[in-house]
Amino acid sequence: MTDEPPEVTGAGRRPGDLDPAHLLARIIRVDQAGEYGAARIYEGQLAVLGASKSAPAIRRMAEQERRHLEAFDQLLVARRVRPSLLSPFWHLAGFALGAGTALLGEAAAMACTEAVEEVIDEHYRRQMASLGEDEAPLRETIATFREEEIAHRDAARAAGAADAPAYPLLNGTIKAGARLAIWLAERF
Amino acid sequence: MSEATSDRPGPVAPEHLLAEKRRILTAALPDVPFDGWTQRLLVQAAQTAGFDAAMAARAFPGGTRDLLDFFMRETDRRMLEALAAQAIGPDKVRERIAGAIRLRLEGEILHREAIRKALAAMALPPNVPLALKGLYRTIDAIWYAAGDHATDLNFYTKRLTLAGVYAATLTCWLDDTSEGQAQTWTFLDRRLNDVMSIGRLKKRLGGLGKNFPDPRHLLKIRL
Repeated sequence: MTDEPPEVTGAGRRPGDLDPAHLLARIIRVDQAGEYGAARIYEGQLAVLGASKSAPAIRRMAEQERRHLEAFDQLLVARRVRPSLLSPFWHLAGFALGAGTALLGEAAAMACTEAVEEVIDEHYRRQMASLGEDEAPLRETIATFREEEIAHRDAARAAGAADAPAYPLLNGTIKAGARLAIWLAERF
Repeated sequence: MSEATSDRPGPVAPEHLLAEKRRILTAALPDVPFDGWTQRLLVQAAQTAGFDAAMAARAFPGGTRDLLDFFMRETDRRMLEALAAQAIGPDKVRERIAGAIRLRLEGEILHREAIRKALAAMALPPNVPLALKGLYRTIDAIWYAAGDHATDLNFYTKRLTLAGVYAATLTCWLDDTSEGQAQTWTFLDRRLNDVMSIGRLKKRLGGLGKNFPDPRHLLKIRL
């Protein structure tokens, strides 16, 4: 992949592309909403699997997502970006996804984590490629968080995500849903 | 804006020709009650400010709409400067909001007729987006100055509520003939009281919810 970041954010953009201010607003809005949704997914999983053997691992991941969310909450306020209008929906949908897959069993919960973190990994990679040297601190933040999301994905794989019932279907559906959520949260 | 994009047409940076724009606006405001927010006003103001007529088009390529937009931005800026000079404690949200609105209106008392004309101009359908954007900027600036950190839907409800209070207060202020606009300030106080009582009502209703049966208890009943 050619992930060499541009000199400045928005350099080389074409007519019709977002200007840097709007691009940044989108990045911060979708990431704040995404980390909020992720934290809710883990909460949903814990509501069902709170006493299972994977609970400590899920709790560790949930703790990291909460730290990510705090960082993006601060960025949202500092950069004067409006939050996603759909935040009540992310509140419900995140929890429902986490609890719903957890009800299918621990393997399905891990498959859900794996699918979501796969999408977030590619999403953060795309964002990092669009941020220039002028936004290096934000890019660093995203890079750190991406490492942790990848670690969640790998942990979910190691915990037997592929053993979930109807694994390909589950994986595909959750990924499509996560991509739609990203598209929506960038805009609304 | 970056060097790479500066040769392309796009949104003009707000700092572009800032001093010139300020001088033209200052020259324009006293004439607004007579001319309205018109192209003629803009060109005449540029000349009164000591520029040639072409400067009107350079500083405000969008014509009177750009002039109106700049007027709103300048009013926001003056409001925030006046508020910063007041040094109200960061925990006094209500005082900061009331202070911001009051300082804003007090600062514009000489331009009351210009603002009346501006509201009329912005009620025209093509200018409504401009009006809403300006209103959003103002309300957002007030909440930000009041130290608001909402990152969920409260962000929107807070801004909608304040937009209602501000719009009502502005209408009251336009026709206020009382000494020092005393009526407007008591009006603003009552509106803010109304809003605060919504918060108290929500708290009471929230407490009420605790007395309702929790559906989860139904699942725990053993037959």
